Amino acid sequence: MNFSFTSYLKRLRSILIGVLIISFLPSIFFGIAPLQSMKLWEYTIENRKYSLFPDIFDKFFYSMTIFFTALLLGLLVALLLTFLATLLPRPIKRAVYGFLTLLESLPDLFIVIALQVSAVYIFKKTGLLIANVSGAYDNRIFFFPILTLSVLPTIQLFKITFLLMKEEQNKPYITVARAMGLGNLYITLNHVFRNIMTSLFQYSKTIFVFMLSNLFILEYVFNLNGIMTIMLNTQGVSFIITVLFIAIPFSFLFEVMESYRGGLNVQKEDAA
Amino acid sequence: MIVRLLKQPQFLIGFLFIVSLILLSFIYPSIMDVQKESKFLYDENEVIVGVAPFSPKDMPPFGTDMNGKHLLYLVLEGAKYTILITLVITFLRIFFALFFSLFHRKSKSTFFDDIVQATLYIPTAILAYMFMVPLFVKDATEPMGMMTLIVVQCLILVGIGVPPLVSTFSEEIRSILAKDYIVSTFSLGSKKPYVYYKHVLPELSSKLLLLFAQQAIQTLILLAHLGVLAVFIGGSKTVMMGDIFNLTPATISLSGEWAGIIGQSYQKLLTAPWIILVPLSFFAFTIFSINLMIQGIQNSLESNKS
Repeated sequence: MNFSFTSYLKRLRSILIGVLIISFLPSIFFGIAPLQSMKLWEYTIENRKYSLFPDIFDKFFYSMTIFFTALLLGLLVALLLTFLATLLPRPIKRAVYGFLTLLESLPDLFIVIALQVSAVYIFKKTGLLIANVSGAYDNRIFFFPILTLSVLPTIQLFKITFLLMKEEQNKPYITVARAMGLGNLYITLNHVFRNIMTSLFQYSKTIFVFMLSNLFILEYVFNLNGIMTIMLNTQGVSFIITVLFIAIPFSFLFEVMESYRGGLNVQKEDAA
Repeated sequence: MIVRLLKQPQFLIGFLFIVSLILLSFIYPSIMDVQKESKFLYDENEVIVGVAPFSPKDMPPFGTDMNGKHLLYLVLEGAKYTILITLVITFLRIFFALFFSLFHRKSKSTFFDDIVQATLYIPTAILAYMFMVPLFVKDATEPMGMMTLIVVQCLILVGIGVPPLVSTFSEEIRSILAKDYIVSTFSLGSKKPYVYYKHVLPELSSKLLLLFAQQAIQTLILLAHLGVLAVFIGGSKTVMMGDIFNLTPATISLSGEWAGIIGQSYQKLLTAPWIILVPLSFFAFTIFSINLMIQGIQNSLESNKS
């Protein structure tokens, strides 16, 4: 780990400049002032004005709860599925991989809407409400959004770990371990999984960015009042603040990840 | 390259699906005589037993939308607009990104980097929405015509995709320029434009095809998201729906692409879910066939290397 605070600050400055440019570009292009009828600390949803503070803290933590629980759930399920997949015979593995490509092609919107509709359909047919599928202003729902948000990361992570696993199986240390008479299960659990976890780290940035976009569509379809809803409905200064709310913690995470990865590369070079 | 790609079965399947979708879309409504609308359902005694929307069960294969238009017809009619718009946007994105990244390296400006850093945390749909809404406001005050509107909207969607691509390309170009044979070409006295044209672009070209396919998928997803947000390519108009006692305003997409079909009946999601799910599954199939093409490209690149 060689995390440096200055490079984090540099990244933040670059983000700030970027958001500034982005937030004023529309008004430059179309000649419409963004702050015409708006106070600085307000956002509008359906022509009603709300003040940004202190609402935003609450909503931020609500969104992040959903986000990280879904991520954790996705990771756990993906690892479990990969483990189960390694036990399958070879032709079925190929079929699983093909099926994953098909699942990966489903747009996030499709999954969100299909799950919502099917939950309502089950409720209509059997009267069994699995979980609330839509949020009202004060009524917060957790179970269903988390479930929905975790579907696509699970598929992606499953695919990545599946590929990494395949690569890892052919490495010399596995052959050595097998020659030593260690069991297949033991090798997979103790050696392969650990190595995969470090490689999986490299993909985390892509998955985070992808999930943020999913979170937005999820909040819109399920009518959750989260941070992305605010981001959609703000302009000017309050938009910048909302973006920074997401950017500051996430860029910190990315910075830590990159420094960690840099450390790994240095180690590899030393070994070579 | 192309011959080798055509030998990949996955590429071929994906490619044929998309091409046949476009061809069908051009041929189907004009040549074949189809029933486009059925607003009411009659029984044997000519008594009305049902009003649109009809579910796929009543009106195979896909059912009808709120106005009684057959979804099969709508989806096939919209396929050409959706796919062509996507292809144009993707092509322009790649073209401009390549153009900028060739100059970007020299100027050493951090403009693109800053924007790329910031766009990581803003979902593309929100970004597009921010630019589209002022456009609609402007269009409402001083109408600019459907064609100009579509062009400006496409330019917005192109502009959103360019900065991340520029940073990808300039990284790629940097790594190519660092190669030994490029360095020796320079020291033998060749000029920069020559090296770019003769060495850098050919080496990029295989990556370009892959990036093109990935960008096409992203554009399709972005279009679907915008449809749900009721931002339609080609603009929309508000009409009054329902009977005289129960007038409700409804926005209708003018250009009939898939995202428009999704968006204009999004509010009816729970009463008639098939109206949304049919175009969405067409989105999914198109993306799947592009994914198959990507797989084929990757396979042919790998066999090329070995």
